[in-house]
Amino acid sequence: MISEKKPGKISRYGMSVDIDKCTGCGACMIACAVENNVPPAQEGATDLTGLTWMRVFKVDNGQEYPAKQSVYFPMMCQHCGLETPCYLVCPQQAVDVDPATGIVGQIPGRCLGCRYCMAACPYHARYFNWWDPKWPAGMEKTLNPNVAPRMRGVVEKCNFCHGRWHAAVQRAAEAGLKEIQPGDYVPACVEACPAGAIQFGDLNDPSSAPSKAAKDPQSFRLLVKLGTEPKVYYHSRREWARRIGDPSQAPDGKETSHG
Amino acid sequence: MDNMDRRFIPAGVSRCSTRNFLLWLAPWAALLAFGLYAAALCLIKGLNQTHMNNRFAFGLWIFLDLTVIALGAGAFFTGFLLYILKLKELRAVINSAVVIGLMCYGGAMAVLAVDVGQPLRSWFTFWYPNVHSMLAEVTFCISCYLTVLLIEYVPIVLKNRKLREIPSFLVFEHELHKLVYVFAGVGTFLSFFHQGSLGGLYGVLRGRPFAFREELGIWPSTFFLFILSAAAVGPCFVLLTTWLVQTITGKRLVKPQVLQSLGRISGLLLAAYVFLKTVDTFVWLNRTTPRSGFLPAQYYAWKPFGIWILFAEMALFLAPMVILLLPKLRARTGWLVSAAVMACCGVAVNRFVLTIQTLALPTLSFDRFLHYVPSWQETGSFLAVVAAGVLVYSISFRYFVLFPEERELRTGPPAAPQTEPALAGR
Amino acid sequence: MQNTRRNLLKFIGGAAAGAVFTPVPWRLITDTALWSENWPGIPRPLRGEVTARYTNCSLCPAGCAVRARCVGGQPVSLAGVAGHPLSRGGLCAFGVAGHHLPYHPARLTQGRVEAAAGALSKAVANCNVEGSRKQLAANLDASKAALMAACNPGESVAVLDLRPGRTASWTYRRAMGAVHNGLYLTAGGPFSGAAANPLAEKARKSWLAGESACPTEAQALAQQRGTDAFVCEPTRGSDRHHDGVSSGPGGVASGGVAVDLTKPRTVLSLGAPVLDGWGTPGNVLAARANFRLIQAEALESRTASLADLWLRIRPGSGSTLALGLAALLDAHIAQAVTVADAAAATGLTEQQIKDLAAELTSHGPALVLPGYDCPEAWALNQLTGAWGETVVARQEAPVPEHWKNCAPVTDLAAVPDGAIRTLIIDESAPGDYVPWNAIRRKLVADNPVVITFGWTPDGYGRHSLFVLPTAVYPETLEDIPAAIDSPAAVFRMAVPLVAAPPGVVNPADFVARAVGIDASNALRERADAIRKAGHGVLFSSADGTSRPAAQVPPDDFWKALLEGACWMDTEGRRSAPPAIDMTGPEARPSEDARLPLVAVLAETALATVPPSPLMTKLHQESNLRLGRSRAALHPETARSCGSAEGGRAVLETSLGRCEILVVVDSSVPPGVVQVAAAPEAIDICGAFARCRVAFL
Repeated sequence: MISEKKPGKISRYGMSVDIDKCTGCGACMIACAVENNVPPAQEGATDLTGLTWMRVFKVDNGQEYPAKQSVYFPMMCQHCGLETPCYLVCPQQAVDVDPATGIVGQIPGRCLGCRYCMAACPYHARYFNWWDPKWPAGMEKTLNPNVAPRMRGVVEKCNFCHGRWHAAVQRAAEAGLKEIQPGDYVPACVEACPAGAIQFGDLNDPSSAPSKAAKDPQSFRLLVKLGTEPKVYYHSRREWARRIGDPSQAPDGKETSHG
Repeated sequence: MDNMDRRFIPAGVSRCSTRNFLLWLAPWAALLAFGLYAAALCLIKGLNQTHMNNRFAFGLWIFLDLTVIALGAGAFFTGFLLYILKLKELRAVINSAVVIGLMCYGGAMAVLAVDVGQPLRSWFTFWYPNVHSMLAEVTFCISCYLTVLLIEYVPIVLKNRKLREIPSFLVFEHELHKLVYVFAGVGTFLSFFHQGSLGGLYGVLRGRPFAFREELGIWPSTFFLFILSAAAVGPCFVLLTTWLVQTITGKRLVKPQVLQSLGRISGLLLAAYVFLKTVDTFVWLNRTTPRSGFLPAQYYAWKPFGIWILFAEMALFLAPMVILLLPKLRARTGWLVSAAVMACCGVAVNRFVLTIQTLALPTLSFDRFLHYVPSWQETGSFLAVVAAGVLVYSISFRYFVLFPEERELRTGPPAAPQTEPALAGR
Repeated sequence: MQNTRRNLLKFIGGAAAGAVFTPVPWRLITDTALWSENWPGIPRPLRGEVTARYTNCSLCPAGCAVRARCVGGQPVSLAGVAGHPLSRGGLCAFGVAGHHLPYHPARLTQGRVEAAAGALSKAVANCNVEGSRKQLAANLDASKAALMAACNPGESVAVLDLRPGRTASWTYRRAMGAVHNGLYLTAGGPFSGAAANPLAEKARKSWLAGESACPTEAQALAQQRGTDAFVCEPTRGSDRHHDGVSSGPGGVASGGVAVDLTKPRTVLSLGAPVLDGWGTPGNVLAARANFRLIQAEALESRTASLADLWLRIRPGSGSTLALGLAALLDAHIAQAVTVADAAAATGLTEQQIKDLAAELTSHGPALVLPGYDCPEAWALNQLTGAWGETVVARQEAPVPEHWKNCAPVTDLAAVPDGAIRTLIIDESAPGDYVPWNAIRRKLVADNPVVITFGWTPDGYGRHSLFVLPTAVYPETLEDIPAAIDSPAAVFRMAVPLVAAPPGVVNPADFVARAVGIDASNALRERADAIRKAGHGVLFSSADGTSRPAAQVPPDDFWKALLEGACWMDTEGRRSAPPAIDMTGPEARPSEDARLPLVAVLAETALATVPPSPLMTKLHQESNLRLGRSRAALHPETARSCGSAEGGRAVLETSLGRCEILVVVDSSVPPGVVQVAAAPEAIDICGAFARCRVAFL
């Protein structure tokens, strides 16, 4: 591991996403790009070559009207807790699993761009910089100073806004506290969601929303049988939606377009 | 110029005129130039020049890299058979196998340098290696093995009739020759590991159940299957290239028994491979896959990768196995060469399935099945490797002794230049 | 040791060997990686002190409260203000990246003049549109006479305000009031100017004849106006704007119609994008759990897929559905329109429509929301008895008395054709886009002068003689009109977070100065008038506190508003409810063999709200939204038109053609083209239109 063990409690940060509440507005996607200095699309970029650390899909139950039902499904890095695929396969240790938070971070300065981690990730959560980033003239002024922009040829992905955790730790230290306050560290997507569909918290803290979601029978995770122990819990009252996580039983709908 | 050129050609063999040789080289040189331009575009403008994308993170290059490395396995395996198992008849083809290996591995490394997003950081893998990563292991072993191949190539070069006139070269070559068994052993060891690790690259992908295999020891079964398939097909490729060179040049370069011996070795290894692969496929479909939460039918539900591809792969190994194990068929060049071609295709299909089909298949339940067609820049870059390989092989064939038996097989005295027919090939 | 070469070499060799045992070479090797980690051309973010500033987002009437994280004074990220009584901490995808707009590549920084033709244009062409604001104003003073003199008798100068309800709107009204032939115009959405729905016409006549189910106040109002041409506010019925200004008799302004989302138990939306950029997103989503949402719409929009019930009706049949429901609630309307008519038009069964009407009455209070094509919805709200509860008429925030002597609000559709010589279009504040032909017909046929104020030349700038650049959020100081889901009057401002570039114009100031009115302090005057009125509360985003406005000293009041505070009126101050209007656009486009498909507009927000360059995440780098100039077709429809995904095609309606990129989507019904709204598309489609698609 590259990061040092922090004194104090060990956290396992996770998310719970209520897909019954998500309206697919995309505010989380934009807020993520603003926070993490993700550049706008280059000409020629498509949904397969873009950089969308957070990406919302529209998934339906494969039926026709009037039985058709759809949900909006936010996807981000699942921060696998066990046998983290990307961490195990990176040849030069450009993936760092922070023991203090459980966050799977990417070190773009170390990344060779071999894209092995992208082949390994079953959640398609990793994105490659196929182009050098380019912002319209003047828009570089709006970049977040807490996050380094990347160059082409390296892989990047959601890191639960790890920089905000560092800032929260610093604030806690300045205030003389040993631990950060629960609401003080919130990733950009969670902050931006107008519906409050995404909740964030420490899975080791029984009072946090993700902890409660973990125990809720209406919650599910994606591809659980692969054994990666993802830390993002999805929740739905609808039974067909809960089968989205299991590829052998999932409804027949594939990602549809343009809701 | 012609005379000077003649002085470099080994004694006792005939080669075509310089002019014809240059004519032969010209189109390959042009192809190389085009391919270098394509590769330069990818390096300068970035990998957006390719048709790879975030879902198809690996494309044509990786697929062809894996294939040529499997085909180039003839280099280490022939060395192993000759120097370790003492199968003396293979001395006839060892030099050729080394050159082919060098070209295959060198080309693969060159393509990898273009394939990564930050080639200037290639040394990071050596400096910050991840012991869990198969790719780190592959990088180390392939780099070391390429060095071994270069070292094994040096004596072939130094034995050139003009170069050995330089005393220090002669001494160096002689000393190096004493270490040939060491290099053969090291090469075998390294190759064993990197061929295996290339299989392990995919076998460890727990996120891709189509590729994922259960472990034997600390390695997935594809580790061993890749070694075996490479060892089985390497001799086939050596056989094929030898036959090809013989056909193009119109010369007899090896005794027929050599080719048949190569074929027999291939056949035996193919038999072992087919058996183990069948067992592996059963385990993978019936146990590993359901444990990952997928159904085997999901792998072959998408056009164009239906169940036919699984059977095609097996057939392309089974048929050559049968042919190469039957002495009567093996003795006939047509059958022998066809079997070699099929085996090479089989290994290509096997690598294709693990690189391209793995990435095309959905993992999340709402993924779409994706198609990928390489861009011209990708194809061009790879053709540069092929062209470079042909160029180096042609030059090596002309000036170095790749086939020691050639001189012996020539009937009659060494031909004087003026009696050579103009279009006798090379 | 002797100074020999050998000794030197030995020393160097020894030093090199020894250095290997020190950290130096190992560190240096790692450091050489630095040059591979930073490319030239990769920008470095600014450094500076981190502060928070508060404003309100002016990209749409929701006016969500915004907390801007600023580095050295430059906003680097925007977020909602948690606990805000109006926006409840919500901020949409546009608002979150609003701080990018000053740097948008399509942004206009210099004025543009189209090739002028004719003697009339020359007079105005003397105006130097490139240069500083002062220069512009000075030049236009000189041209003012030319501007006014240029009109022939009977012709008008008009200002088309695409976002009425602002203080700037009052400035325009005052300016036009000061000119003898001035008109202040508002318009309503993509169907503006279309022909009336014949069924609605029938129903209205029948209802008038019966004189029943008409609230007494409305009747009185109608009599007061002395006309039987009822005007309902708003006729526009669009999702977000124009809760707008509408004046009753005597120039009494009212704030328009608003909905109170805390009240309904059933909401029937006739195509309004309730869950997708309608009203105030944070407020809508907070109230969502309290009502059952029924969406009647042709396409599977976001709202349709998330509603409790989606009724798929044929494109453009929303108004007939409303009339059918009205028929079930009022016997007189039933004489003109029947449920069978509605069923035939919409494709629903009669039973479904009856069940719907029953639900509206038994599971009330109900709220019926219009989409683009059915203002009858407002009338329906009166018939269900929802007036005063879920739907209220809302007054505007107080204005200085002397402002009220001004031009009245005129609907663009009410202007006779060919009456306008000089038209000024204020496109600076995002609002709905009215199809150009609806505007063009009101202009004189020969050499009209059109001046557009906008932040980009891609809207009406395409049709204008002059385009003058304006500031864009967050450079502007402007107030934001109340949203449709704000039952109380509000006043809040977007405050400048960054300086506008030199050369941009403030449109309202510009026009006012051209006619000799000084409106440069209009916002302060307005704030003072609100404070003087003495009611309402002031909510401050910075500290999250609410105080009665009367307790805040006037200077502090203004200062708080400059820091993003929001004034909200308290209950009880509402205008009389308007009368029922059942005139509307043509219900369904008539059959036309040459135009076999129906184009329906979608993604209207992307067309009208300024998008940050990062919006590519939503439509180019993912499939979440349909990008501009794209149209989605059912696979069979695409095949019948001769192509597949990604093909370039031409979309043709009776009003013109535009180029589109086709996307294949099986959730679009066959025979329908889902067109992402863009000015070019709205120009030829309106809300919906018969069309054909031909692949290139």
